[in-house]
Amino acid sequence: MFDTKLKVLVVDDMLTMRKIVSKILKQIGFTDIHEATDGNDAWEKAKDGKFGLIISDWNMPNCSGLDFLKRVRADEKLSKTPFLLVTAEAEQHQVAEAIKSGVDQYVVKPFSHESLKTKLESAHKKCAARKSA
Amino acid sequence: MSAALLEKHKDYILINLPPVLDGNTCKLFDEQITDLEDLHVIIHCGIQTFIPKDWLRVLLKIHLSLKTKGKSMKLIHANPVLTNHLKKEGVDAIFGISKDLKDALTQLGCVTKKSMDIEFVDPFLTATIHVLKVQASVEASAGKVSLKKAGVMTSGDISGIIGVVSDTFNGSVIISFPEETFLGIMSNMLGETYTTINKDIVDGAGELTNIIFGQAKITLNEKGYGINTAIPSVVSGKNHILSSQTKGPVVVVPFESSAGPFVIEICIE
Repeated sequence: MFDTKLKVLVVDDMLTMRKIVSKILKQIGFTDIHEATDGNDAWEKAKDGKFGLIISDWNMPNCSGLDFLKRVRADEKLSKTPFLLVTAEAEQHQVAEAIKSGVDQYVVKPFSHESLKTKLESAHKKCAARKSA
Repeated sequence: MSAALLEKHKDYILINLPPVLDGNTCKLFDEQITDLEDLHVIIHCGIQTFIPKDWLRVLLKIHLSLKTKGKSMKLIHANPVLTNHLKKEGVDAIFGISKDLKDALTQLGCVTKKSMDIEFVDPFLTATIHVLKVQASVEASAGKVSLKKAGVMTSGDISGIIGVVSDTFNGSVIISFPEETFLGIMSNMLGETYTTINKDIVDGAGELTNIIFGQAKITLNEKGYGINTAIPSVVSGKNHILSSQTKGPVVVVPFESSAGPFVIEICIE
């Protein structure tokens, strides 16, 4: 699992979903949790490279989670940041697009505490494998 | 190197072309399509602007194999550059290019109806029950589905609204909650007790609507409805009344749940 001392950015235009994700992260043990309301807000907060994990909604106004992911992956400083996309939409072509854009895990709403934890563990394994490659 | 993604559906197989179309992925693809059964094949072109000749040969092989079984192949989401390329190669008419999955399924005769029927409504009911259970630990069950009668208004204290937009029809889904029900659901979802609808939870009605819509959309789009992504909105106010902006029939579904009753209205024209 990720080091729970990591600074985490939770991105969602819906306050309730940010609260749900943050609550689960706190239950897992994370303490340094920050929030952003869309991809643009998230980019402003993340561009200095201070976050060790990003969990972002996909479907947001102004700048979607996918566009934010692409910006992160295109930035030299941020490109290796573990990135999970959370979405209510899981059509195959969307999953394929997210994978192609470099997402580490794809969390489909609705999700339970356990399923988010499992996705985080899986993303951690993927990121660890990427580092050692 | 990633292979093409094959999804088997009731009447067809959907193949998502991989991002890289080279000799290696072509060889993998050729091995993947050895048994396509007696189903139509729909190829999602993705971001491709060009299909190499070895890939075209495999696609032709699929086309010929399907022809002997009385089945067809369609290419979908081909952008203008790819469409021109296929024309130049003289294969556009052979493959058959459809705009999207819905168009392809309609042309293949897999989807014929787009009316408000149980096939359209049922995914919303299933999604509602599933979403409330997983996200809020709330057990819900749908009551009798009925058509909304003229002059009858549905009221609620907070409602989530989302537009249902596709190439061929528009509509909306509204989920209206009495305050007590909504507070029960939100308290369960967030693990805190809420006694009034405040700024911390007001967008929860939109989020629930969004998740329910997303789940239903997956099922409906597999059937060819071609529903687009949408962003929900919320109306809050004691006993507010919402009227649909579309002219089609409105289906009303009352729900009972462990948090209390609520209503879903679905309208398409």
